[in-house]
Amino acid sequence: MSTLTIENLTKEYGDVTALEDVSFEIEDEFAVLLGESGAGKSTMLRCINGLTEPTSGHISLDGEPITGSQPNVGMIFQQHNLVEGISAYMNALTGSLDRATTVESLLQRQNSETKRQALEALQTVGLLDEAHQRVSQMSGGQQQRVGISRALVQDPDLLLADEPVASLDPSSAETVMAYLKKAANVHEVTALVSLHQVNIAAHFGERFIGLRDGRLLFDVGPEELTPDLVDDLYGSVETVGLAAQKRDEPSSDVVERRVRP
Amino acid sequence: MSSESDTGSLRTLLGLGDAGDSPVDRKLDDLRRRKLVRRLYAALGVVFTVVVLNASLVVVGFSLTELFTQIPHFLDALTDYFPPTTYFGVPFVDVMQYWEFIVEENLFAASQVTMAIAIAGTILGLPGALFFGVMASERVVPYPFNFVFRATMSLIRAIPALVWVLILIPLGGVTPFTATLAIIIDTTGYLGRLFTDELEEIADGPIEGIRSTGANKSQIVSFGMLSQVFRQFIAWIAFDLEHNVRVAIGLGLIGAGGLGLELDIQRKTFNYTEMMACILLILLLAGSVELLSQRVRSYLREDDVEQTGLLEAIVTAPKKILMSTVGRR
Repeated sequence: MSTLTIENLTKEYGDVTALEDVSFEIEDEFAVLLGESGAGKSTMLRCINGLTEPTSGHISLDGEPITGSQPNVGMIFQQHNLVEGISAYMNALTGSLDRATTVESLLQRQNSETKRQALEALQTVGLLDEAHQRVSQMSGGQQQRVGISRALVQDPDLLLADEPVASLDPSSAETVMAYLKKAANVHEVTALVSLHQVNIAAHFGERFIGLRDGRLLFDVGPEELTPDLVDDLYGSVETVGLAAQKRDEPSSDVVERRVRP
Repeated sequence: MSSESDTGSLRTLLGLGDAGDSPVDRKLDDLRRRKLVRRLYAALGVVFTVVVLNASLVVVGFSLTELFTQIPHFLDALTDYFPPTTYFGVPFVDVMQYWEFIVEENLFAASQVTMAIAIAGTILGLPGALFFGVMASERVVPYPFNFVFRATMSLIRAIPALVWVLILIPLGGVTPFTATLAIIIDTTGYLGRLFTDELEEIADGPIEGIRSTGANKSQIVSFGMLSQVFRQFIAWIAFDLEHNVRVAIGLGLIGAGGLGLELDIQRKTFNYTEMMACILLILLLAGSVELLSQRVRSYLREDDVEQTGLLEAIVTAPKKILMSTVGRR
């Protein structure tokens, strides 16, 4: 149970403004961040995680300001960013690094409670049997699930995911998203997930935040996510592709809604 | 059109004749001039190389006549190197002479000394190599400061292990102990550099992944960076051990013990047969360490590729070589 508050967040890279005066608040929700590539989604998540320093504005979690990478904010990356040479279990265990000294963590001297927690996190994402496997030998979908378990071991109050399914096939993407949602529900964590696929977003999201050119375009619930809003977000380019798709066969209801005149 | 320039005079060929009228003629002339310049430079290069080679030959006293007059002596020595005998009427090298000398002088003990120098030097040099290797990486220590560690390693490498032994003589005399010290220093500079190079290649992703968990700096280095190169490091250590065995043999030649020392003693007393016995043993020692290190490295590198046992690898080797040669045309 936690509240993420973003106030007047601005981030500039030299002359380029990636985020401009963005404010919103999410509380105990599975929120989805939508927007084109370059709209500022990754910058937003990296600022919240402390991997990037904002130019101005405030980010706070339950009233406490976020200034750097901290264990109570778990992050899931598009390219999973796991250590590939070691096992899934060891990777999950790296989520507990802040609770051990360097020597303790190198010798794997974490207490058995932490070790159980790592395995439980792997169980949550359905990988308990594969815990001993080296990550480099796993499929993309499995790797991403290990990424989720690492974030869970951090005991986070907030779960961030930066396009977690962008490099996965449609079926793995759905599986990973289902596990991510389950993880957030089971651990009662507020989540903010950036996504490209509107249909997946519509299926899993409880709250939708749209960014366009670094500015907040909308902040709505599931009922208010209309095709017009989505068209606003992506411009007319998407509609061309969707029109062609409709001719073949209308796939999901989201797509159908969007191409309605 | 330009019939005059087609006469084939030397000037025309070199592109120094009158340029033709059309752009094509002018370009052709231009290209000829460029070719002339390139050839002049090439000729200059050849002349320079010949001059330098000649000067070098004079300095080293290279003489073909000396070579020819000495050849009978060398052939004499060859029969000492490889003493002939007959086994069941078939002429062959008298292997027993080598064996007797090896047993009599207990050269296996000398081989052990050489191996001991290499192993002790590699293992004791490892912490230094790891420290300097990691600290010299730009990823760990920011740009101008990492050069302090890089420069230290360069300095160590600039002085060969043979010279390090000479420097360290006041510490331990000309002994295996001093040779080990020299190899420790050599390993720090040599293996450390290999570590640094490997660290420059690693991906940013895992580093960021570990950073996002709220880990401290040394945890980021060990889990985000070193874990990525752990297996490569083991492979480089195996390679460095192999390198150090050869260095240890070289150090023996200047008196620091082991097989190299035995070889040097036999050389000074012109016992060519005994010398060859030492050389054969060196071949065996260096060869088997290299084979072992190769196996370790290929095991670590190609983890996902199907594994072949040592025996199987030897049996299938000719076939594989043949296959790869056929494929390459």
